[in-house]
Amino acid sequence: MNQSGLPTPPLQPGQQASASNANTPSTSNQQSSSDNVHPLSLDSLLVHITTSSSPHTLNQTLRNCAPKDVRETILSSFLGGGQDPLTLLDIRSHTLGVLYILSARLNTSISLPPPLQYVEDFCRSFSPEQARYAPDRVTLLAKGIACFSETIGNPKCAITPLYSLVERYSPTPSHLTTVHRIFLSACVSTRHFTAALPVLSHPITTIDTTLSDIHYNDNLVYHYAGGMALAALKRWSEAEEFFEICVTSPGQVPAAIQMEALKKWLIVQLIYRGKIMPLPKYTNPMLFRSIKNTPYTSFANFYPQHIDQLRTILEKDNQLFTNDKTLGLLSQALERAPRWSITKLTSTYLTLGLSDIGRAVGIQKEEDVRVLILSMVESSEISAQISADGTVTFADPPPTFSKEDVDRVLMEAQEQGAQLARLEKEMARSREYLTKAVRNKDDSSWGPAVDDDSAFTDRAAGNWTDDAMFS
Amino acid sequence: MPIEMEVDIPENISHGGENNAFQKGQKRPTLLPVDDAHPFDLETYISGYTGRTAVDRLLLVISTCPTIAPQALKLALTHIQQLRDPALYQSAIATYEYLASIPGVNVPPTSEIDSMRSSWMDETVKKNQAERTKLEVELKTYSNNMIKESIRMGHRDLGDFFRATGDFPMALKNYTKSREFCTTSQHVLDMCLSVLELLIEQKNYAHIPTYVFKADAALDAANAASNNAAANNPQATQATTNKKFAEREKVQSKLDLATALSCLGLANYEKAALTFLKLGSAQQLGDWLGKLVAPSDIAIYGTLCALSTLSRSAIKSQLLDNAVFSVYIEQEPYIRELIQAYMTSNFKMTLELLSRYSTRHSVDLHLAAHIQEITNCIRNVAIILYFQPFASIKLDRMSTAFGWTIEEVEKEVVALIQSGQIQGRVDSQNKILKAKKTDYRAELFARAIRAGAEMQCANRKLLLRMRLQQADIVVKSPKVPQSGHSGELLGD
Repeated sequence: MNQSGLPTPPLQPGQQASASNANTPSTSNQQSSSDNVHPLSLDSLLVHITTSSSPHTLNQTLRNCAPKDVRETILSSFLGGGQDPLTLLDIRSHTLGVLYILSARLNTSISLPPPLQYVEDFCRSFSPEQARYAPDRVTLLAKGIACFSETIGNPKCAITPLYSLVERYSPTPSHLTTVHRIFLSACVSTRHFTAALPVLSHPITTIDTTLSDIHYNDNLVYHYAGGMALAALKRWSEAEEFFEICVTSPGQVPAAIQMEALKKWLIVQLIYRGKIMPLPKYTNPMLFRSIKNTPYTSFANFYPQHIDQLRTILEKDNQLFTNDKTLGLLSQALERAPRWSITKLTSTYLTLGLSDIGRAVGIQKEEDVRVLILSMVESSEISAQISADGTVTFADPPPTFSKEDVDRVLMEAQEQGAQLARLEKEMARSREYLTKAVRNKDDSSWGPAVDDDSAFTDRAAGNWTDDAMFS
Repeated sequence: MPIEMEVDIPENISHGGENNAFQKGQKRPTLLPVDDAHPFDLETYISGYTGRTAVDRLLLVISTCPTIAPQALKLALTHIQQLRDPALYQSAIATYEYLASIPGVNVPPTSEIDSMRSSWMDETVKKNQAERTKLEVELKTYSNNMIKESIRMGHRDLGDFFRATGDFPMALKNYTKSREFCTTSQHVLDMCLSVLELLIEQKNYAHIPTYVFKADAALDAANAASNNAAANNPQATQATTNKKFAEREKVQSKLDLATALSCLGLANYEKAALTFLKLGSAQQLGDWLGKLVAPSDIAIYGTLCALSTLSRSAIKSQLLDNAVFSVYIEQEPYIRELIQAYMTSNFKMTLELLSRYSTRHSVDLHLAAHIQEITNCIRNVAIILYFQPFASIKLDRMSTAFGWTIEEVEKEVVALIQSGQIQGRVDSQNKILKAKKTDYRAELFARAIRAGAEMQCANRKLLLRMRLQQADIVVKSPKVPQSGHSGELLGD
């Protein structure tokens, strides 16, 4: 086997570690096979897979059977008799084995790729419990599916298997896995935004590193791509939230993707709210600084009243916006600017002529204003009446709430409260918290008093020197 | 000295005040009328000032009021001859000629007014040069002899000299240098007051608080020291203590005035109003009156700031019932009228008075930059006060009350509604302003539900953030090779 000719799949930290483990006794095929009863071949591994009763040991065996390159080559080969190993295995009961073989075969170019139908079948019916023993292989499989679909020139076909994988692999929809990001990227790059909706509708709240080896990029890209998909579907409020999560994700330094997300977040806010909300305090300050004084902020400053300036900005920095791929969103924002101006007018005026409105929002033709107002009333953005002589009367009906609404809100609040209380208790008995709390308590038994004293003496000393200087 | 004019940058506050005034005229060529509707008596106005500030003010008048510019130039030239800064003469002429060059302005040529002896310039320059050399030599001698007190005085004298000859950066440098050689807090205080005078003259408002603060500390220290002395020396009579106290009051008044001017200059009108209203009597301000401001200025600044920012009750308690401040108001009778009109809600009269005396306000060194905004504030407050008792009012009634056209009223009212200062809406077709009726119960529900939803959202996001941090999934600098993924920082 020509090892150097093999393509190297992206390195995974876990894999690397396991590979180096296997490497420690300066491995060669003979040495590692001396540990095993069977000499290394796919046939022997297949025996392992079919006979093993504990998925845990099977995972260990499969992982440590050979150095990484050799292992992948073996896993992606055929049986001695030229038979396809996959035909001999049952997807449900031998999930782990199939997972290893599938992921290896999808990622090595020399081997024969498995039929797409089989991949889909696997994703639809694998056993999540078994698969969770080898999270890195799941990631590899997902990546393999994405790559494979591209090589065969049909990136769309990745979406269905990836969706099943996401849905079945994570224990609850609120868990984030590495597959999420790959799935979302596939959806966005093929513009199948609606396919992502079932996944996006569950906000991510749980991170479990034992479930998959999540990297910060998985989180960032998932939320960024999610925001893109939702924005493309004009679900602004959700898109806003996804971009915000991406922008405000914790970090020592801001990532470039966070900056991109920030730009899009600004525009989505303009579209959805007509103005910009302040960023949360925990946003990386570098992001604030780098967005300042860009065409984006000046666009936001002129929004929504100064249509002409907005147009000028769009024209002047067209190249920048095109490069940033924000031109589409910006034009949508520009299109909606008159609506926001009119919404603002409703809080100032009770009645106003159509021509006055047109003048205030920068639309010349009275007929266009009428159409715009009608469409706004229809989408219940404002409530207004247009009388025959072109006078618009604004009204703001007080918001009404039914008892059910209030009950529902109360229920939600109680749930939240209970959840937070549970978290609080969990936190209070966690090891890290307890060690910290105990340590601080020891340190600070006399701490505050001492601090006050020293501060006081400092100040007194300062005064004293001043006095000495002046007298 | 044309070079000086060229290097002068308006933002550069360290340059001479006279040049600033000239630059201002350039930047803001709006010319002010002086006629029956806008009375302004230059003679009376300028008689309240002495020295450099008189010239500075006259230059501002020259650059803005074509009708009285010749008269102002004549006055300015007489004042300049008593000073020793030849550059002032140059800028007076330059300002006047700049005004003459504005199209549509007809003023007699400079030669008709210019009565200066040509030798004056040369003589003054020569004299200044001689004095400068003398003072510098003196200072050098003192420095060599290491006599602290003499060095301080040397620096102070040089500072005074540079100030008189219009070299402000050097003056400031020398004043601050003298601080190193101060031995008593009285010296520090003197230094601070000199610097403050300089800063006010230069209109360097941002720096004033620093020196006021320093002077305050020095004043306290000086007081403590004198108290100690008094305690050690029981024979010290009551009279000396009283004198000390009066002295202290005087300095305090000056510091207050400096603070007030800096607040005004920095557009902090409310604080300026409060400080002006607390100011001590005219005697306490001593030589600063005339040298820097006139008592009538204090009345105008204080009243306008108060009207634009303070509430009616505060105006009543702090302005009307303020015996000390009434003395200042006596200087400018129209100010009393203004306050009366405002307090009796005669807003038309108030605004008329403001516009009648707009020339007087706009040629004031310290007020000119702010008068527009202050007038706007007063007008807004007037509209708000007027509308307060009504649930709905016809705009034409407001227009008669304020003496404006209906369009103007509507524009003002709409601006106020949009800035949230009036809770109301305009019925633009029928020209009615209606107060907003709020259904508080419904609003409460709406707000509670919105707050709940927002909180849930925030909780969810924070929870995720917490989990990410717990799992150490934070963005790391790509320089630290954390894992093979770093290369993807730019995103897929």
